[in-house]
Amino acid sequence: MTPVYDPQAALRHEKKLLLHKRVRNLIPAAPFVLPGLILACVFVIYPMLFNIRISFSNYQIVQRTMTWVGLDNFAALFTERGDRLLLAIRNNFLYALVTTPFIMLFGLVFAVMVNSLRRSQLFFRTCFYLPVITSWVIVGNVFAYMFNAGGAGLVNYLLKDVFGLLPEYVSWLNRTWTANLVIWLLGIWKNIGWAMVIYLAGLQGISADLYEASMLDGASRTQQFWRITVPLLKSTTFYVLVNMIIGSFGVFIQVMMLTSGNPRGTTSVLQYLLYDKSFNLFEFGQGAAIGIITALLVLLTTFVLNKVFHTEGGKTE
Amino acid sequence: MKHLGKFLFWVVLCLSVVIFILPFWFMICNSFEEFSYVLPNPPHLFPSRISFAAYEHVLSQSNLPQAALNSVVITLLTAFFTVLVASLSAYGFARIDFFGREVLFRLYLFTLMLPGFLGIIPQFLVLQGIGASQNGLIGTKAGLILLYVGGGICGNTFFLRGHMAALPKELEDAVKIDGGGHMTTFFRVMLPLALPSIGTLAIFCLQGTWEEFFSAKVILGGVQSQITLPVMIQSLKGAHATRWEWIFAASILAQIPMIVLFAVFQKRFVVSGLAEGSVKA
Repeated sequence: MTPVYDPQAALRHEKKLLLHKRVRNLIPAAPFVLPGLILACVFVIYPMLFNIRISFSNYQIVQRTMTWVGLDNFAALFTERGDRLLLAIRNNFLYALVTTPFIMLFGLVFAVMVNSLRRSQLFFRTCFYLPVITSWVIVGNVFAYMFNAGGAGLVNYLLKDVFGLLPEYVSWLNRTWTANLVIWLLGIWKNIGWAMVIYLAGLQGISADLYEASMLDGASRTQQFWRITVPLLKSTTFYVLVNMIIGSFGVFIQVMMLTSGNPRGTTSVLQYLLYDKSFNLFEFGQGAAIGIITALLVLLTTFVLNKVFHTEGGKTE
Repeated sequence: MKHLGKFLFWVVLCLSVVIFILPFWFMICNSFEEFSYVLPNPPHLFPSRISFAAYEHVLSQSNLPQAALNSVVITLLTAFFTVLVASLSAYGFARIDFFGREVLFRLYLFTLMLPGFLGIIPQFLVLQGIGASQNGLIGTKAGLILLYVGGGICGNTFFLRGHMAALPKELEDAVKIDGGGHMTTFFRVMLPLALPSIGTLAIFCLQGTWEEFFSAKVILGGVQSQITLPVMIQSLKGAHATRWEWIFAASILAQIPMIVLFAVFQKRFVVSGLAEGSVKA
């Protein structure tokens, strides 16, 4: 008797064979994947899970004891006098909202300008990229000196004595809003070069034919910019936007070097608070709780950005 | 009108560059001064003298040479192991269809969404638990290198996997026909072909490790003989008074290797490498 062909059974059989093959492939894959996987487990995945555990505990670093305290750490953070946590969250969001537009705008403008150059392109690109490859510690120090309170600070000297724009010296780093302004300025200055390089790469991906064709149709430079350059750089813009906003949750060194969160925590940010709580005050439980809160904020922000971008993309495309 | 536009273009461009370069100019000028804890008022926008006293001081009287050596060792070893482990891992994900691959890769991607510093407390505790001594690997170069390589592995695997998956499969089949296994394919075919993207990864790893401050401060901060350059420069800042010319001299010395690195490789790796990253995202 000839066997009846059963497509369902054949499909099942094929799937089973494929599964067997994939399980068998674990052996040749192991030497490639395992070293990375072990490191990732030890230094990324396990710490993430362990961080959750610490945030619900009272961890004593010297005695190395961990006792379950429930939500006490979170409660302590939210009810602390001086609202350091809420101020830090506010400053993180303000930093993202203020710096990102300037970084993107100047990054794009400089990219377009530099891209139109021929011989001097390398020179200007290097100048704008120099802050990116300079250590945060170094630029933090320079800014601390430049924004010194008295007449010895370069910015005070230039603004009051040279250009006469200020009636008197400003003690930039000792007041909440001027100090935040300096922190933002440093962030903008340091990151424009990065955005510029990304935009340059995007610009070089746009075909020159488009500009030629539009020129034949009588389009002006301005029209070309708004009708060709900007729309075609959309995915680049989204990449820069997401990187800058998510990256802004990692603001730390500027704050540590310029203000230490002073006056009274009004210039603090989440990572500085985490560092201060953990390694100055040895409140590891509260430090871990700040980590959890930051993680939730980052995930929420990523989710919102994706939502906004996708609905916008649906409308215009 | 056209000439006016061109003129304005150059004015804006040059003015922007001046503002961009000003902090560096200021740093260089003041590294030649001698302040003796008193800042000049008004500040010097041009050097009042050319003296290398501050450079001599940080090179002979501070632990900058030791910190520089530590930085070189940590940076080179981190870059080497990052490239090795990440390219192996990327090959596994790109070229071998093993059970659980998609789930694992999704997990790697998920960890990328969270800023790296969030795990610093448990990472500190993990390093403390490795090894026999009281403090484990805290305060050792090995501990910091492990943390750098391990902490970056998910992102670097993701970066290289895209490039390796895009390379043609025919070459791999040719190796198979000749009787070679995955290891032969990896070393003989994949590594040479993926060299541009590996180069990009190596450069960004070198730069990132060289300037990293947060983990270095937490892991090595307590042991003076092990600290890296950023931690050392920050420690020059006194609680009450600071010799700024020392800080600036040390900063400039610390920055030179990175400027050289990018000047040499920027055409070959930096722009194209970043470009591909942005297209993939």
